[in-house]
Amino acid sequence: MGKVAQLLSHPLELKAALKLKYLRKPLNPDAVAKQSANLTECYKLLTLTSRSFAAVIMELDTELRNAVMIFYLVLRALDTVEDDMTIDPKIKVPILREFDSKLDLESWSFDGNGPNEKDRAVLVEFPCILEEYHKLKPEYQLVIKEITGKMGNGMADYILDENFNLNGLQTVSDYDLYCHYVAGLVGDGLTQLLVLAGFGSKDLYEENVHLYEDMGLFLQKTNIIRDYAEDLADGRSFWPKEIWSLYAKNLSDFAKPENTQQGIFCINHLVLNAMTHIESVLHYLASVHEQSSFQFCAIPQVMAIATLSLVFANPRVMHENVKIRKGTTCYLILKSRTLRGCVEIFQYYLRDIKKRITVEDPSYLKINIQIAKIEQYIESMYQEQLPLGVKPKDTLIYKKVLDRTEDDAKVTLIEEEEEFKFNLSFTMLLTIVAAVYFYSK
Amino acid sequence: MSSNEIQSVLLIGGAGFLGLHLIQQFSELKPQPKIHVFDVRPLPDRISKQFSFIPSEITFHQGDLTSPADVRKAIETSGAEIVVHSASPMHGNSQEIYEKVNVKGTKNLLTVSKQCRVKAVVYTSSAGVIFNGQDVHNADETWPIPEVPMDGYNETKAIAEEMVLSANDPEDDFLTIALRPAGIFGPGDRQLVPGLRQVAKLGQSKFQIGDNNNLFDWTYAGNVADAHVLAAQKLLDPSSAKGVSGEAFFITNDTPTYFWALARTVWKADGHIDKRVIVLNRPLAIAAGYLSQFFSKLLKKEPGLTPFRVKIVCAYRYHNISKAKELLGYQPAVDIEEGIKRTLKWMDEGL
Repeated sequence: MGKVAQLLSHPLELKAALKLKYLRKPLNPDAVAKQSANLTECYKLLTLTSRSFAAVIMELDTELRNAVMIFYLVLRALDTVEDDMTIDPKIKVPILREFDSKLDLESWSFDGNGPNEKDRAVLVEFPCILEEYHKLKPEYQLVIKEITGKMGNGMADYILDENFNLNGLQTVSDYDLYCHYVAGLVGDGLTQLLVLAGFGSKDLYEENVHLYEDMGLFLQKTNIIRDYAEDLADGRSFWPKEIWSLYAKNLSDFAKPENTQQGIFCINHLVLNAMTHIESVLHYLASVHEQSSFQFCAIPQVMAIATLSLVFANPRVMHENVKIRKGTTCYLILKSRTLRGCVEIFQYYLRDIKKRITVEDPSYLKINIQIAKIEQYIESMYQEQLPLGVKPKDTLIYKKVLDRTEDDAKVTLIEEEEEFKFNLSFTMLLTIVAAVYFYSK
Repeated sequence: MSSNEIQSVLLIGGAGFLGLHLIQQFSELKPQPKIHVFDVRPLPDRISKQFSFIPSEITFHQGDLTSPADVRKAIETSGAEIVVHSASPMHGNSQEIYEKVNVKGTKNLLTVSKQCRVKAVVYTSSAGVIFNGQDVHNADETWPIPEVPMDGYNETKAIAEEMVLSANDPEDDFLTIALRPAGIFGPGDRQLVPGLRQVAKLGQSKFQIGDNNNLFDWTYAGNVADAHVLAAQKLLDPSSAKGVSGEAFFITNDTPTYFWALARTVWKADGHIDKRVIVLNRPLAIAAGYLSQFFSKLLKKEPGLTPFRVKIVCAYRYHNISKAKELLGYQPAVDIEEGIKRTLKWMDEGL
């Protein structure tokens, strides 16, 4: 189906796409005008490597905008070294291990990537990243350096881990640890930046290690489930054996038509595993107050739950990389601007998953119970179903949600204005069309 | 810790469904306390393989809960410092029976226990005491007991609970506690799981009433019994008694679940999977319930579907057990899936 036909058959998404394109005002639009040539170069690199990430980063408050952009590019550079199979491990491993110390240099670049490596520019033009890095607040530099060091060493360890290279991830805790290195650490760094900037509640970093860890793991696991076919074609895989071996002898068996049912059971089991992070995700989001940071955190999470529901019980995952519709993305971007909107998105997709589980599925009851657990958690966030005379329980999460609801209220005003403008334009358009029609008759 | 070591316990209603689980959990304590059972009916001749306690180690006292003499005799011969009161008629009995056991019996037990210097009474109340037909979302113990009760059973349970809790008298070394389990099931259960098996046998399992978004608590009987043991221990320990005596606690498996998901899990464990499910929405099902009730009356048969049953399966009824977790240290040890397995195994024993 073409994109236009897709949009036309989902009117809510069409409306969202139009609103997003014509009506929504981006947050912090002035930042771009004031930036130097070198900074512009960095943003160009950012857009080059990830269009979707670039869009959310560009809207961040100026306090964090450059720090997050540089953080992203540094990790992208690290990833580009790690990912490139044309680089000899003897060269690769020391670079990964020492990558954090490169950040102390005035200037450093690397042109050892293969010519086909799409992000090689990030390493070739690394000096302009370094220049901006050194302009960041020292405490932001420290965070970026710390995470780069940890991630680089983690990557190097995996390259040298023969068992991993030969057999993939074994246990669920191996799976969690792998996701920690590639995504949990990103959550760690971003959360530190957020708290340093004063944009999230203070306890977000120090008291709740699992919160930011779970933010990262939820995204990473969703991607890992979705990328089965693509990864397999590249000769690698990140599904943990402890789970997939319950359903097949070899991981590649799922791609055979006769194993589709087992493949679906396995995907659903992995989805169940990913869903255990959702309560923390909601708790985390309730702790972020500054609006641009909230959107920055929320958008990937709501896209992940939409993707998770798309991969759930989906036999296409065994053969291709499934993606949510563009229009869905527009809808999610607009709706995830409030915590309430995010919660509704999660609830919608969780109930959708629940509706589609079959009784035969070995995870049937467990998935039901996990979804119920999240519903119970959501109930405890808002506590709106209390009988007369019963006071809400004064829990940490309840207080956070109350605070965040005040922030939500400001966004709701903007949403209402957009809705009004949309309806106005739509009515005007219809009137013009009608006038032209009658006039020409 | 010796202060909360139980020497001797008297289980009122100990021959019943929950009673056997109480015997089991108390018998697993080290050192094992002396276990006495008081009931109108004797202990079953054959005990399910799901239990490992040794029946000959249990002292049985037959008697009437409303008789002061019977109760006094049992308490005095047992020398129990803890009385656990889990005697309760099954739902579906007459109002007269509810009044007799729940109200008169409980009153008698409290009076005699206090006279006999029993240290603590643990009362098995019911989560139903807060239910008035309205949805119950994540309820905790601050929820009120409704002025208009749901039915005679819940009304008498609420009256009894109130009596038990107001009898708490630390000055006089007489402590009480009330536990409110929700949806007890397990080996010995004559209602939940057997009821579902019956539905499948009648071929009615392919019908689903309501949208299945409503959450329910089911609680494995062994876990409920664990909570009783913990309650007894906390009451005997002076350092914790103050925080828990005179208090009520919801007890569940801490995993609220969608009603039909549980039902289908039972049917699946029983080897029965419906390929297609027909969903009746709530208003339609209520109308059908009235019709079924009407025709059943004409035919003088027991109606399968009633408006009351429809409302029950469509209601939200789940609870927040933070208080029990925090103050009693309660954690459900047996999960729902394992609980269902054990229940079906028990049913297959054909006891």
